[in-house]
Amino acid sequence: MKNFEYLEPRSVQEACQLLRQHGEEARIFAGGTSLSIVMKQGFFQPKYLVNIKKIPDLTGIRWDPKRGLTLGALVTHRELETSPLIQETFPILSQIEEDVANIRVRVMGTVGGNLAYAEPLTDLPQILIALEASIRVAGPDGDRTMSLEELFVDYYETSLRPDEILTEVLVPTPPPRTGIEYIRFSSSSVIDKPCLGTAVRFTLEEDLETVRTARVVLGCVAPTPLRARQAEALLEGKRYEVQRVKEAAAFASRECKPVSDLRGSEAYKREMVRVLVTRAAPRAFEKARAFRGQV
Amino acid sequence: MSRFITLSVNEVSRRVEVEPRETLLEVIRDHLGLTGAKLGCDIQVCGACTLLVSGKPVSSCSFLAVDADGCEVTSIEGLSCNGRLHRLQEAFIETGGLQCGFCTPGFILTAKALLDEQPHPSEEQIKKYMAGNLCRCGCYQEILDAIQKVAGRRAVQNG
Ligand SMILES: Cc1cc2nc3c(=O)[nH]c(=O)nc-3n(C[C@H](O)[C@H](O)[C@H](O)COP(=O)(O)OP(=O)(O)OC[C@H]3O[C@@H](n4cnc5c(N)ncnc54)[C@H](O)[C@@H]3O)c2cc1C
Repeated sequence: MKNFEYLEPRSVQEACQLLRQHGEEARIFAGGTSLSIVMKQGFFQPKYLVNIKKIPDLTGIRWDPKRGLTLGALVTHRELETSPLIQETFPILSQIEEDVANIRVRVMGTVGGNLAYAEPLTDLPQILIALEASIRVAGPDGDRTMSLEELFVDYYETSLRPDEILTEVLVPTPPPRTGIEYIRFSSSSVIDKPCLGTAVRFTLEEDLETVRTARVVLGCVAPTPLRARQAEALLEGKRYEVQRVKEAAAFASRECKPVSDLRGSEAYKREMVRVLVTRAAPRAFEKARAFRGQV
Repeated sequence: MSRFITLSVNEVSRRVEVEPRETLLEVIRDHLGLTGAKLGCDIQVCGACTLLVSGKPVSSCSFLAVDADGCEVTSIEGLSCNGRLHRLQEAFIETGGLQCGFCTPGFILTAKALLDEQPHPSEEQIKKYMAGNLCRCGCYQEILDAIQKVAGRRAVQNG
């Protein structure tokens, strides 16, 4: 690793100023689980590392029945996994975290880093996008809010400016009769990064048969997390039916853009998208019918 | 650019001069001479470099030493007490939970963190928690036996 100057701002404003001052030569440092690897490999050689872990405003998990869930950027994978508040309100997040990386990466790695790194092989973005999460971003000139979907631009590329910090993730309270299922599929060892991650979410009409909102979000099969919009459109506003799910899964399989790599060939991944959407949808549907205020 | 950091290493306060680019593993091994933690994969997959920072397992190969300033660090050397091995160390010997020993400090520290958090884990919980530590000699069953032995013994002790 090349040497660098290590900066420890105590507030978001101070951090943004440092980032503005040092421009491309600076880099935000949170848990360091991703950054340390590329720095050791020499892909990144920042002159200034801005450690944001001393900023108290970026921590904490909060829940408000009206606003929903707020996750500070520094919330770790392990906190999501073990937080009683998450287990009560969004158990899906805690369940999936059990399978993310390994215990050491979960202890250090943060939600903010997981999203802002925009690595394609991750789990959280699919679930959070399916739940219509948004993010708050702070810059030297103030804050802005955007949908999480808008964050992702390309492989390892986001719409954040170099002097901006992702400060919070907001997950709205799910509407009544909502259910979500996430299937994380790893084609080598269980602790490997996912080969595919498929989230399906339904919100049903009062008849508990008609799909009001459908979200089919695919991970690891495109440069960014991908909403299978044709699949969603096919499912929305109609009765839930097995045959329609099969057709939607076939759409999703065509809509994604996987590349062949050591975790599977392009054809294999397309087929697995079809399989996983078909498998996740009935579970999401049943969960929506049994909705008791949590997802 | 170097600076002084203060660490509590195995309950002894140590002041060390480090450069920002130095990892906690380098400081523990090269500055402090504690060579139990090993450099393995260097990408947080194998667990050979595991140390406990504030009681939690971390990959010290990827942890900046400056980031540990003010923290409590536990290495395998800190587990024995007055020349007596820790219960987990004894159990690993009894069950044959090691052959070459390269991964053992990481396994034992991870197991300690697990049992500190959850004194009576189920087999499933042990397997999940320990899944990120790799043993090339393949002593997984014996390692599981060792951890269960200690967890079981605690269960008896606690009535
Ligand atoms: C062995 C291994 C296995 C993994 N397996 C999985 C897996 O199964 N599923 C999964 O989802 N992920 C997995 N990951 C990825 C892991 O989740 C991320 O490494 C982690 O969440 C990144 O968080 P961090 O705090 O360590 O980020 P850092 O490494 O500190 O930063 C990563 C990047 O994000 C930027 N950044 C960090 N925080 C902010 C912020 N608040 N605002 C703006 N920019 C910011 C940094 O500048 C940097 O570019 C794995 C990683 C490893 C090393």
